[in-house]
Amino acid sequence: MTPGAVRFARIYRALLPFLSLAVVLLVFLLVDLFTNGGMRNFIKVMNPENLMLVANQNVIIALGALGMTLVIINGGIDLSPGSSIALSTVVIALCLKSGFSSSVALLAGLGTGASIGLLNGAIITRFKIVPFIATLGMMSIARGMAKLLSSEQKINVPDPNSEIWLKDMLYGEGLGPFSNGMVTLVVLALALWAVLKYTVFGRYVFAIGSNETAARLCGLRVDGQKVLVYMLAGLFFGAAAVMEFSTLGNGDPSTAIGKELDIIAAVVIGGGSLSGGKGSVLGSLVGAYIISLLRNGCVLYDIPNPVQEIVTGVIIVAAVTIDQLLLRRRS
Amino acid sequence: MKLPDTAPASFSPGFLSLLLSLLLFSGCGGKQDDPLEKTLRIAVIPKGTTHEFWKMVHAGAIKAERELNSAGAQKVEIIWKGPLKEDNTEQQINLVRTFVLQGVDGIVLAPLDKTALVSPVREAAARKVPVVIFDSGLDAEVGKDFATYVATDNYRGGVLGAKRLGEVLGGKGKAILLRYQVGSESTMQRENGFLDTMKKEFPDIELISTDQRAGATEEQAYRKSQNLLTRFKDEVNGIFCPNESAAAGMLGALRQAGLNGKIKFVGFDASEKLVQALGKGDIDGLVLQNPINMAYLGVRSVIDHINGKKLDDYVDTGVQVATPENMNTPQMKELHSPDLSKWLDN
Repeated sequence: MTPGAVRFARIYRALLPFLSLAVVLLVFLLVDLFTNGGMRNFIKVMNPENLMLVANQNVIIALGALGMTLVIINGGIDLSPGSSIALSTVVIALCLKSGFSSSVALLAGLGTGASIGLLNGAIITRFKIVPFIATLGMMSIARGMAKLLSSEQKINVPDPNSEIWLKDMLYGEGLGPFSNGMVTLVVLALALWAVLKYTVFGRYVFAIGSNETAARLCGLRVDGQKVLVYMLAGLFFGAAAVMEFSTLGNGDPSTAIGKELDIIAAVVIGGGSLSGGKGSVLGSLVGAYIISLLRNGCVLYDIPNPVQEIVTGVIIVAAVTIDQLLLRRRS
Repeated sequence: MKLPDTAPASFSPGFLSLLLSLLLFSGCGGKQDDPLEKTLRIAVIPKGTTHEFWKMVHAGAIKAERELNSAGAQKVEIIWKGPLKEDNTEQQINLVRTFVLQGVDGIVLAPLDKTALVSPVREAAARKVPVVIFDSGLDAEVGKDFATYVATDNYRGGVLGAKRLGEVLGGKGKAILLRYQVGSESTMQRENGFLDTMKKEFPDIELISTDQRAGATEEQAYRKSQNLLTRFKDEVNGIFCPNESAAAGMLGALRQAGLNGKIKFVGFDASEKLVQALGKGDIDGLVLQNPINMAYLGVRSVIDHINGKKLDDYVDTGVQVATPENMNTPQMKELHSPDLSKWLDN
């Protein structure tokens, strides 16, 4: 590739998620124009209040996508976030139920996520198991632990009106018109972006994801780095679990089934490559927003659930196909 | 801000820029319809969309929509939308919030969780969107947070099950209650109704096991039933199961042990398998809810509420017992094997 092509590829990659977002909005507009000849539904979608609601509903997937971005750039994959989130909500609810404060429950939830991630990293590096299989196993293990801890019951936290501020982590009022959840998301996203861009750790994440063997030969401590990546990702899944708990108000061992797929889809739509080395924080956020917006739009447009699932799938495949086609032609 | 509904789909630059400028100014656009010819949009939110039970609920909602529309006084549009993933509470919460913000005229909701759905329902109340709760209860204040509660009287379902079992046992013998799983409100009430009635009306029937639980799935229920039958098969005369999966598991175990038809058996809810077994006499009674009626009354209630009628706090949708003798009457057929095609033809 010539330097010009590389620059094109980089700029283009950064813009791709926004292109997808624009395409989704355009499709919404066209569908409205052609089906009822007006823009009633499109206006409902674009209503600032609605976009804000979507942003709130998006927080859980987006937090998960941040963690997943780290893993995917590093050349791995994690299938355990859905189960990890369920386990953390159970742990949080159990803490609150046994009288601990919100802060303790928060730390316990984050700790649970990080521990699952640490375990993932340890299994992958110690036993030399590919991430797909290791985290597939963890998906089942964490789900089982969640059910075991909760005796297969939802854990209700007593007294919905008491001072459990953890329940307001998502929808509670934060800064101005933005909810606590959105503020948390933005802060964590900025932190991750800075870490990826400006720290040695961040550059190693890209290096290992691009070419693990080369990174190893250059003397990078690849294994330790990987464990750290999965643990950090687990921490983000823990944060997503806090938001999930805040939404449900209870610990539910059967919640977030299949959430890992939404999360992975968000990263992929956002330009992350499953062969590693590529992906961005902003892209993943936009990718997550697209998924949430699709879900919201399909409700406003009264599109049946099966069609909605098909549309989501088509967009994932289309985003990646366009990505590869354009890049290949250019190089 | 009012947009013509019949605007032609044209892409001339002028028209497009007009649309765009309209769009820019439309952010705060509120209700735009003339109240006289306004179509009432009612969102019906079930717990899932694929199970047979919810298909019947869907049919009931459409039945109400068609009846109201053919009555002509008011146009009604039903928006049927369940969580994308069956039984996903988070998605159901998101759905309620989306519909509230969208400004539907009413919501008919079967809450997946009696506490988790409270805050979105309160948000609906705050925005003056009336909510009718159906099928399962909500831990909120009826009359304030939601308009009314439309559901099966589960306790009475248990009472009817006990009466039927007592009747086929001739008022004497030994009976077993196989409970459903822990924490399920509706089946607990059925179990209580069954036990209370057994003790009160059939003192000569001895309850030899009432503490075993079937678990969530038919397979778990099957294994539990096998264990129960192994232990009690020489003495038990009658069995009651409070829901569909428990009854199906017990039916399988009875057949496997060759005890079907010998031990009297009353179940709850209908499935094709259970209804066939009822026809063959392997089951002596099925307590049937009325999911079609539930959604039908749910939609009618929310419309009544919008029109300012005073609603009762609770609307009973009825339970009945199907027996091998009465199961082929048109009225019973409508309950256990309804022809949904006339409603769900799309």
